[in-house]
Amino acid sequence: MDDDRSMLDPVAMQRALRYRLTRRNLLRNTGIGVAGFSLASLLAACGSDEGGTTGQSAAPQDVFSGEPRDTLNFANWPAYMDQAKDKDGNVFHPSLRAFQQRTGIEVNYQDVINDNAEFFGKIQPLLAGGDDPGWDVIVITNGRYFTTLTQNGWVYELDPSKRPNFDANAASWAKDPFYDPGNKFGMAWQSGITGIGFNTEQVNGEITKMDDLANPDKVGTSSVGMLEGDMPDWVMINLGIDPVTSGPDAWREAAAWLKMQQESGTVRAYYGNDYLPDLQEGNLNAAMAWSGDVLYSAIWLGLDMQYVFPEGGALLWIDNMLVPAGAQNPVGAAEIMDFYYNPDIATMLTEWILYMSPVPATQELIQKDADKNFDQGYKGYASKLQATAENEFLYPSEEFLGRTTFGFGDWTDESAEEWDAIFLPISQG
Amino acid sequence: MGARRRLVPYYLLAPGALFLLVFFLIPLGLMLFTSLESGGLLSGGFRFSWAFENYTDVLGQYQVQFVRSIVYSIIVTIAALLLAYPMTYWIAFYAGKWKSSLLLLILVPFFVSFVIRTIQWKFILGDHGPILGPLKDIGLLPQGFRVLATPFAVVAGITYNFLPFTALPLYVALERIDKRLVEAAKDLYASRWEAFRKVVWPLSLPGVFAAFLLTFVPATGDYVNATLLGGPGTTMIGNIIQEKFLVELDYPEAAALSVILMIVMLVLATVYARILGTEDVQRVAGAGA
Amino acid sequence: MSTVAAPPKAIPELGPAPLNRSRKRWTRFILPTYTIAMIVYLASPIFVMILYGFNDVPFDRQTAKFWGFTLDWWKNVFNVPGLYPAFKNSLKIAPIAAAFSTMIGTLFGLALGRYRFRGLQPVDFIIFLAIAVPEIVLGASLLSMFVLVGVSTGYATIILSHIGFSIAFVAVTVRARVQGLDRNLEDAAQDLFASPVSAFFKVTLPLIAPAILAGFLLAFVLSLDDFVITNFVAGPVLTFPLWVYGAQRIGVPPQVNVMGTLLFAAGILAAVASVLAQRRRSRA
Repeated sequence: MDDDRSMLDPVAMQRALRYRLTRRNLLRNTGIGVAGFSLASLLAACGSDEGGTTGQSAAPQDVFSGEPRDTLNFANWPAYMDQAKDKDGNVFHPSLRAFQQRTGIEVNYQDVINDNAEFFGKIQPLLAGGDDPGWDVIVITNGRYFTTLTQNGWVYELDPSKRPNFDANAASWAKDPFYDPGNKFGMAWQSGITGIGFNTEQVNGEITKMDDLANPDKVGTSSVGMLEGDMPDWVMINLGIDPVTSGPDAWREAAAWLKMQQESGTVRAYYGNDYLPDLQEGNLNAAMAWSGDVLYSAIWLGLDMQYVFPEGGALLWIDNMLVPAGAQNPVGAAEIMDFYYNPDIATMLTEWILYMSPVPATQELIQKDADKNFDQGYKGYASKLQATAENEFLYPSEEFLGRTTFGFGDWTDESAEEWDAIFLPISQG
Repeated sequence: MGARRRLVPYYLLAPGALFLLVFFLIPLGLMLFTSLESGGLLSGGFRFSWAFENYTDVLGQYQVQFVRSIVYSIIVTIAALLLAYPMTYWIAFYAGKWKSSLLLLILVPFFVSFVIRTIQWKFILGDHGPILGPLKDIGLLPQGFRVLATPFAVVAGITYNFLPFTALPLYVALERIDKRLVEAAKDLYASRWEAFRKVVWPLSLPGVFAAFLLTFVPATGDYVNATLLGGPGTTMIGNIIQEKFLVELDYPEAAALSVILMIVMLVLATVYARILGTEDVQRVAGAGA
Repeated sequence: MSTVAAPPKAIPELGPAPLNRSRKRWTRFILPTYTIAMIVYLASPIFVMILYGFNDVPFDRQTAKFWGFTLDWWKNVFNVPGLYPAFKNSLKIAPIAAAFSTMIGTLFGLALGRYRFRGLQPVDFIIFLAIAVPEIVLGASLLSMFVLVGVSTGYATIILSHIGFSIAFVAVTVRARVQGLDRNLEDAAQDLFASPVSAFFKVTLPLIAPAILAGFLLAFVLSLDDFVITNFVAGPVLTFPLWVYGAQRIGVPPQVNVMGTLLFAAGILAAVASVLAQRRRSRA
């Protein structure tokens, strides 16, 4: 924390603390308190509507027309962009460099998004005030905050004529998703599922279903990580409930299971998105995990981890690119969003981050890349690419997709409040 | 000249007072205001509505975390005092010319951001880390043994982080004590322990008191240690506040919690001051202080 | 009881009381060893940090296992995307915040330390609050205020918040020094017909300079390392501690250890310089 609080004078400290409320200064203090309070009300009245909506009524054609600016601010989740080292050992993002070479736009890429809610909380005050939130492209998962952003006009409506690559190459699931009909506001970045990841050596036997995570004989005590954000939907799915149509009764059932799990002693912690280092370090034996994270650890880091699709089902989610209202460079934003639907670029991305690409053509391209590397003798690298191309979590069959479900989507203040009241106490225990 | 002289302190105070007013007092006052709002970010925003139910709601819901935070902080403060007192005592009384250097050595690790230091502790204390790993390998500890994600880890982490806040006020108070008083006691045939108990300890009480406050109060609101080193049963009130602000975006309830925390702190500090009654002791040590 | 015993020696003529052996054991061995052990304990994460800056991890993220020695991370300190800008932000913000809080805090500390004025007690109390308040309360309040007033969170709000919480620390540091000063010196200067202002600049200021320097360093470090308050008011801006906190969710790159080592080394240098400056001053 802060260090040296320095030479504090205990005598003065004493004096300070003996400052008592005598009748005389009580009046004075009340006066100050009232003044502060009134000042607050005054400021509130003058200040912008706290949290109010300022809908963007600009037509997409106008927003996205013209020339792009020279710089673009792109906010994303960590480990969600391809990465490589150049010959000097500098780490860079090849796809962003390619974008810059093609368009001349320099991308300021920051992986600052660690949590949908947290990031939303950071940009919401700016959006509500009609200010520039500081980002041209952001990536938000389908769900509560995506819905809030789109419904309040805090993200621009996209111009459908500016995305030829998307129209040509996007997967069917990426087009016209239920939470964003007609891709009015966003385009999928990547998709993934929430399943179970575990360290093979550290668990007893095969982990195959959700109940295994509540079974100390299989996973040990205090060694399971749960994803706070995903767990309500995930548990519902594995209990046979469809989250999309669920209501408070179903939520209570899921909460009961979570409570039972907590009482079994298997849970070590409830994580935001920071379970991966603990899983990799072996502090966790098993965890609710995102496909790309565990696949990356297993395939590319060579860790002895496995990823499984739970018997009861898995949660499907899509991370979407959005352009916040007030962004400085919307034209550039539209360009980069469509850029990533270029099969070559999408391939660069998927080979690194190992999530479900919205461009199906990447599978063939990755396979070709693998073959090429086999020919060139880079067996190790090639076999990893091969494993990527064949992975069912990246290129799921229809049947596979049929066993995945999206999470609850009917968000209002009331439903959010009730949801929180039921689920938050579990992780806040 | 006299009249102008009298105004000098006010001129000196003005810029600081202004800053503290705008960036300390007013925000705290606004917390009070925010805590009485209602509404939600997802639907239009917050409105002031004398929503006292925010207070009853959070008090009802988070008693466990409040109590836990206070209990942890008490343990932290006592542990920190126990750990720091012998060290500062020796430095203040016996270290001679090495005093400043030793103090510096104590403080210098805290130049590095506490985020980094706490992360390192997480590695050091990991289940298969450099301490537990070898101990498990040679069979001294059971495989399932862990330090992280326990209350012990959280309390230890907070204690570590706040040790300078404890050590410094202790040192300042101990250093001011006139050593000759101790010698006088010895000459009156007091044993070493009696000299300590009857002379040094009472004279150091202002420092102990300051150390207690400077450790206990901020420790109660800590959340980073609980986040990085803790587990499901270690959530502190700071975690709740942080979550409510930044994740749930429920500003009114979060503000209510913060106000309650501040009031509890103020009350405890004042009560402690009265009970300890260090005023008499101060008079005795007055010349030396 | 006391009348029979030898009369106590007069205080000014005290010599050391006879040391018995057990006292020697405590003061010569046990306590010093304990102190050294504590210092090592306090520094242990630093040792780990420095050591792991040389850890040859294959995946660019820190692990508990030590893989081998390498200087790669030192060669490529600024290579991690996002880390260097965050580091630069911290280094941009800290001196500005420290400078302002030192100026304001010094004046404040002067007032507190040498003048009696009405309102001293409440001001004392407020200073104490400013030092002891849990950071989360202050951070959350500041954010609430910025949101309420409609100010965009970013560099400005970070700097203003940092100044806000540092002033009290600087004030206390300066006050402690001022209280120990001999007023006679300044009065003597005035007797020699110096105006109060020039007496201040030529006599007082040099005497409290070490405290001002210490206050500046303190404010600088507080700003550089601050996490909780900055987390609340930073908006889209990232500082070094914020970046590290975010990164440790996925995996901390070893370069963070290298940067920490550099900061630590700089801190030692600054502290040593400050101590030397103080030594020279007090000899003067």
